[in-house]
Amino acid sequence: MSETVISIKGLKKSFGENTVLKDINFSVNRGDVTCIIGSSGSGKSTMLRCINLLEEPTGGEIVYNGKNILETKNIPAYRAKVEMVFQSFNLFENMTVLKNCMIGQRKVLKADKETAKKEAMFYLEKVGMAPYINAKPRQLSGGQKQRVAIARALAMKPDVILFDEPTSALDPQMVGEVLEVIKNIAKEGLTMIIVTHEMAFARDVSNHVVFMNDGVICEEGTPEQIFTNPQKPETRAFLMRFMNN
Amino acid sequence: MTDFLNEVINILVKYRGYFLQGVGYTMLIALVGTTVGLIIGLITGIVRTIPTSKNPVVRCLLKIVNIIISVYVEIFRGTPMMVQSMVIFWGYAFMNNGQTLPLIPAGIFIVSINTGAYMAEIVRGGIISIDRGQFEGAYSIGMNHWQTMVNVIVPQAMRNILPAISNEFVINIKDTSVLNVIGVTELYFFTAKISKMTWSIFETYVVACVIYFILTFTVTRILKFAESKIDGPSSYTMYQSSDMPGEGPAAKEGNQ
Repeated sequence: MSETVISIKGLKKSFGENTVLKDINFSVNRGDVTCIIGSSGSGKSTMLRCINLLEEPTGGEIVYNGKNILETKNIPAYRAKVEMVFQSFNLFENMTVLKNCMIGQRKVLKADKETAKKEAMFYLEKVGMAPYINAKPRQLSGGQKQRVAIARALAMKPDVILFDEPTSALDPQMVGEVLEVIKNIAKEGLTMIIVTHEMAFARDVSNHVVFMNDGVICEEGTPEQIFTNPQKPETRAFLMRFMNN
Repeated sequence: MTDFLNEVINILVKYRGYFLQGVGYTMLIALVGTTVGLIIGLITGIVRTIPTSKNPVVRCLLKIVNIIISVYVEIFRGTPMMVQSMVIFWGYAFMNNGQTLPLIPAGIFIVSINTGAYMAEIVRGGIISIDRGQFEGAYSIGMNHWQTMVNVIVPQAMRNILPAISNEFVINIKDTSVLNVIGVTELYFFTAKISKMTWSIFETYVVACVIYFILTFTVTRILKFAESKIDGPSSYTMYQSSDMPGEGPAAKEGNQ
């Protein structure tokens, strides 16, 4: 039961002279919740953005369902299957909460209005944002915005959801409500890759932890292996700093 | 003073037909010209913000289109509309054995392409002012460039550039007056004609002045109202589905 959904082979990314990703190799199986941890600047977000093709990798392969997506002609179709949730939410400011969750279904999946609305309501209900369907994003708090963003991604019925530091822009109280929502989806078996600084959450929610350091994957394993018995000195040093904070 | 007022009223009443006709054509040319100019601006704005393609043929084609747009913008922004009117109107006649363009369509055409050059820059500014995250949010749910522009970016850019659009509209109402050099029968053309008939030059132009101001002031008020409409209400209604345990009335106000 370990069908590989995404595998990354020799992924490289540099911005001019600055090499951010040196040689990334790892794969994600269906139903996996993979947490990517590491200090700021280690390339976690860049890697996630490469997987969604928001950044164009300099080298390597990203294989999704057996196909190298760096060669695909139809990037939008791939992105509709591999959704992204951002640190800064990126809800459409000109639309209500409901419309935010319908527009992708209508334009990309070509769903009819009734179906799109039903689906949007279902997922908004799930993240506890159904009472706010008439609100515009600017009228919501950060935590509420992020929950809507998660509903927007879910409404596309994706294969995989990528979370790029979903709670980094939130205050501690709101972090809780968003993490709770992510945990609930994780239970339903959706494949997720989560870049996070929330160690307790990572340990709790994931079955696969990847520690990145300086543009490479330093260590990976189950949460128990990484958090209770790290092998590499870099991993220990990183976790030690977190425990002390 | 009473002589002056009497003469002003006299002119206004006696030549009301001319003034009305002038107002009609001025507003027609300004309205159509601004609208067509905006459409030109939107199209060029969307084209100029297409991300660079990997396909060399597409990339080369886009480059050529971009150069054409830049040349158009620079030429029409960089020369006076009065001169453009003469060049286009008489240029057409020169190339068609002296046959001239019909005046009103010619006026609309000149104002449209002149406004388009300004609008191209206004729209481009509006688009690049939208946060990068809005594009990424749209791309990440699988929208292509066109869908992203039409559904997410342009509506927000339009809201932001509405003050600049109303600026252009007001400028066009006033600047249609330069079209009198090719004989377009707009408000200035009739005013000049009336002043030559009455020889009350000052009074006649005071009337025109007031009419121009009423036109521009009305337009700015209407567009201001449109802005507040687009912004929508500052509060929103809480939605309660039937399966949520009842909390008072079906709708309550939320406001932040």
